[in-house]
Amino acid sequence: MITAERLTKRYGDKTAVDAIDFTVRPGAVTGFLGPNGAGKSTTMRMVMGLDHPSGGRVTVNGRAYRDLPAPLHEVGALLEAKAIHGGRTAYNHLLWLAKTNGIPRRRVDEVIGMVGLDAVARKRSGGFSLGMGQRLGIAAALLGDPGVLLFDEPVNGLDPEGIRWIRNLIRSLAAEGRTVFVSSHLMSEMALTADHLLVIGRGAILADTDMSDFIARNSAAHVRVRSPQGGVLAEALRERGWAIRRDDDGALLVDGATSEQVGDVAGSRGLYLHELSVVNASLEEAFMRLTADSVEYHARTDQPVPAGV
Amino acid sequence: MTTPTTLSPPAAAPAPRADVGRPRLTFGRLLDAEWTKIRTVRSTVWTLASLFVLSVGLTALICWGVAGELADDTAGEPVGAFVTWGLMFGQIAALVLGILVASAEYSSGMIRTTLAAAPRRWPVLAAKTTVLTAVLLVLGAITSTVAILAGNFFLDREGIGFSLTDPDVLRTMVGGGLYLAVLGVFGLALGLLMRHTAGAVTVGIALIFIVGNLVGLIPGATGEWLTKLMPGNAGTTLATVESFNPDLLGPWTGFGVFAGETALLLLVAGWLFSRRDA
Ligand SMILES: Nc1ncnc2c1ncn2[C@@H]1O[C@H](COP(=O)(O)OP(=O)(O)OP(=O)(O)O)[C@@H](O)[C@H]1O
Ligand SMILES: [Mg+2]
Repeated sequence: MITAERLTKRYGDKTAVDAIDFTVRPGAVTGFLGPNGAGKSTTMRMVMGLDHPSGGRVTVNGRAYRDLPAPLHEVGALLEAKAIHGGRTAYNHLLWLAKTNGIPRRRVDEVIGMVGLDAVARKRSGGFSLGMGQRLGIAAALLGDPGVLLFDEPVNGLDPEGIRWIRNLIRSLAAEGRTVFVSSHLMSEMALTADHLLVIGRGAILADTDMSDFIARNSAAHVRVRSPQGGVLAEALRERGWAIRRDDDGALLVDGATSEQVGDVAGSRGLYLHELSVVNASLEEAFMRLTADSVEYHARTDQPVPAGV
Repeated sequence: MTTPTTLSPPAAAPAPRADVGRPRLTFGRLLDAEWTKIRTVRSTVWTLASLFVLSVGLTALICWGVAGELADDTAGEPVGAFVTWGLMFGQIAALVLGILVASAEYSSGMIRTTLAAAPRRWPVLAAKTTVLTAVLLVLGAITSTVAILAGNFFLDREGIGFSLTDPDVLRTMVGGGLYLAVLGVFGLALGLLMRHTAGAVTVGIALIFIVGNLVGLIPGATGEWLTKLMPGNAGTTLATVESFNPDLLGPWTGFGVFAGETALLLLVAGWLFSRRDA
């Protein structure tokens, strides 16, 4: 369980995290979603006691991080930047880490097996690929078998296989009853992994909701239908009590109906159809609407993107 | 590489976590962890090897070269200054090792892993300092002893060797360890302050080896005293049987000054360490 109260972080005169309150509960994956620069990593660093809050407080299992008697047994984290000395082998990295918190040596072998690094455990981590480095970071997070886990953008830069692996891992950790807090700037990723959603923009919490609620509210599908006899069709559909909107190209957008129902209405009147499809409103759009006012770095569309970017 | 897509479930569902029966952070564990860190990177091996090789090798070389002149008394230099001559260069390795103990954690980002495991910063700094001190104390004493034996071998052949039970020689054998240990801690403090390896090495070398000589150019008593008090100058007399510069502070007084300066720098670094974001 992670609890933040009026948690604030200022860098100079810039407020990166602005008096936020939230609770991350056990037994579920809580997604921490926000655009670049929203304050996700800063918040996570404050949870971990790495950055000192400018105001408010945050506790893990009821205690400030620095007051945890053996932190690795309670909290495991995979933070944004890689936090491993490349000159040390994977095994030795985990070994010194284990020693700080009195974790037995065999647990080091165990987590190496869990993340599938057995073959390279005695190699220096500087030569690891991004995915292997990520696995080593996860092994470190799991070392103390903690009940609380933080992952900051865990799938960044991974291939589809790696993404699926981490997604399954995160889900299984929550299924075991652990508190799992995962940040991302991709709604689609969160929709697949998170049970609960915490949306942050410009350092403020914009939404704190169940994932299923968010989806239900924001992903209502509609049917798109195009007919040369659009006026007649619109009339017929309205008679059935469905709301009709007109799209830019003259197609009709029908809310609350299935494509079968719309097709049957047209057929029963002998109307020609040139197009009939179901359009799912994307969660990404809903997320972008939510954070539109709080995006830190708007792309300038009136200027060409410099070459090589 | 095998890549399991799921984890094996833990043996038992995680029970509500209580502190009882759970290990705690202890200073002994931090020491063990820091010792593991320092012995599992190559930079430690390289710096310690160059400390030894430079100190012993260069001492042997110079003593071989100047023994004749020293015996004829045409060199006009104190004989005792030569038996640990190589340490002047070897000591750079001790400084660098100390710097790396702190700065490598920042350049790699590992400091965040360290502080996630041990969030209270003063104990982390104390553990790093203790391990570094112990390593350099032992290796420094061995190095200065072997350097003295090697240098003295050539002096002996010209009949100007020292007795190995000479109190100043014995003091230098131990003093080499003490001086290099404190110099390493000086580097550690500098690395922690600057969090940048190249920057800290530059400042460290400039401060200890260049500024220490330049302040002598300041005329009058100011220059004289600054020369005496500069960290490198104050410390080195303990690690030489006889100093090239007779105006420096005595071995133990000088070492006391150097240790005091280092302690002050370490306190400043630790204070900032405990306040700054990682
Ligand atoms: N050490 C720092 N000094 C100054 N400003 C900082 C510092 N760390 C973060 N910031 C600023 O605070 C804001 C929040 O940054 P943060 O890294 O927490 O965002 P984020 O949500 O993790 O973004 P991203 O998705 O890009 O990782 C940004 O505007 C960033 O520039
Ligand atoms: Mg971030």
